[in-house]
Amino acid sequence: MAIPRTPEEPVDTSRPSSWVSTALTGMALLILVTVHMVAHHFVVKEVGGLRTYDQVLAYVSNPLILAIEATFLVVVTWHAMLGLRAVILDLALPARLERLVRPGLTMLGVLTVTYGLVLLGTLASRA
Amino acid sequence: MSAVRGPDDPGAVRRAPGPVLRKGPGPTAWMDVRRGAVGHWAFSLNRVTGLGLVFYLYLHLAVLSMLLRGAGAWHGFLRVATTPAFLGLDVLLIFGLLFHGLNGLRVALVGTGLAANRQRALFWSLMTVGAIALIGAALHLIGSE
Amino acid sequence: MSATAQTRRFRVYRYAREDGPARFDEFDVPAAEAGTVLEGLRWIEVHGDPSLAIRHSCFHASCGTCGVRVNGREGLACVTPVDTDTVTVEPVANIPVLADLVVDMRAFVDRYPPQHPLLRDSEARPEADVPEGIDAYERFEDCIECGLCLSACPIAATDDRYVGPAALAWAQRVLEEPRGADVDAILAWADDEHGAWQCHAAFQCTEACPSEVFPAQRIMKLRRELTKRRLSGSSPSS
Repeated sequence: MAIPRTPEEPVDTSRPSSWVSTALTGMALLILVTVHMVAHHFVVKEVGGLRTYDQVLAYVSNPLILAIEATFLVVVTWHAMLGLRAVILDLALPARLERLVRPGLTMLGVLTVTYGLVLLGTLASRA
Repeated sequence: MSAVRGPDDPGAVRRAPGPVLRKGPGPTAWMDVRRGAVGHWAFSLNRVTGLGLVFYLYLHLAVLSMLLRGAGAWHGFLRVATTPAFLGLDVLLIFGLLFHGLNGLRVALVGTGLAANRQRALFWSLMTVGAIALIGAALHLIGSE
Repeated sequence: MSATAQTRRFRVYRYAREDGPARFDEFDVPAAEAGTVLEGLRWIEVHGDPSLAIRHSCFHASCGTCGVRVNGREGLACVTPVDTDTVTVEPVANIPVLADLVVDMRAFVDRYPPQHPLLRDSEARPEADVPEGIDAYERFEDCIECGLCLSACPIAATDDRYVGPAALAWAQRVLEEPRGADVDAILAWADDEHGAWQCHAAFQCTEACPSEVFPAQRIMKLRRELTKRRLSGSSPSS
């Protein structure tokens, strides 16, 4: 018999909508990552296209750029957490650990986005 | 009454099942690409690049945090980041992004049944696009030294 | 002693609960007696070790009974040619072993939903003429339930809760040809975190399938149907 979970143990049941969210954030990232990579490696004439300190501050002080980078941060973190979740759930961890995956990754995602936004905001304010 | 006993017959002796063979211990089973089919390579590499990019996300945030310490700290990082070895790592990053992104597009199309019968052709055509982009990016990065 | 030009070295997985841990036994089978893997195994039963447990029936890839892994690849022993000097034969993966190369197919069958019938009437009659306007009949029930797809699936390798390619392919076939089945109930069963959504498109099941079921493609078509129903608000799970 397939090795089943005991019926009373709750499992994360949101995989169907998670897959759709992963696909949609992935589609958005095709554009956002391209914009981000081109902007940070293929625009400035310095080696590797990398900006100096002052160039970075000038770049993020532009409200449109700030909005795009913030959006990129949120979407990429969301996609990353969804991807991690899919991989971890495929490992069929014991139920007591599996129950922690969703809240754990949600918290990690929120912390990541918060830190990134604070970082962006701080740099923008220094320009 | 039938003389044939089935496995659910209360009197039947049911043997406990033996070992379950896997392609490898734990998640290494995802990496058994011996059959050599494109789909499995794509799946395995998608997982590897995905996990690599998650690691890179946090590495990137850590590196960008140097900006908080001012121009001196950032330029110290730039001295390392503009070395050929580091630019080589940038090329590896771009490979990871291109593979994961383009294969992800394939997974999204195939996974909603839109291109299920053309998954191999889709893989190769997207990888061709990716290869061209990667070569272009690599030449640009190396040429910028 | 290694294999010679006249023999093939068979490394065969052996397991019996009373004998402790599994091992590999080696047999040198005359090449003339080992055109296929099954021929070699039967030679071993007769001349090597009569206690070798193997399962087979039709000898022509029709019954699905003799599924094994040969040099790491899934195949039906009866039609897998012996084309290497050394042949490693193991039971299929992801299904519990009963003894040697015989696995407990209940673990495979139990992945199907309760609506899966044990027997279905076949409406195909070989002597029937194809009516005008129809090019050809297409067989829907190609699946011989050999379990090779489940063995090849990388997700089934780590998660036994995943229902697997065979059961999902069956569900998709029911969509195409319901024959009075409860389609909504079957879709609800498939629309689950361990159903169609746990497939990650490795397509190994299709590669391993000896019977042209194309389970991966069927799973994707099933997901298309599930997505359409979700978007139209008539999701079977909602």
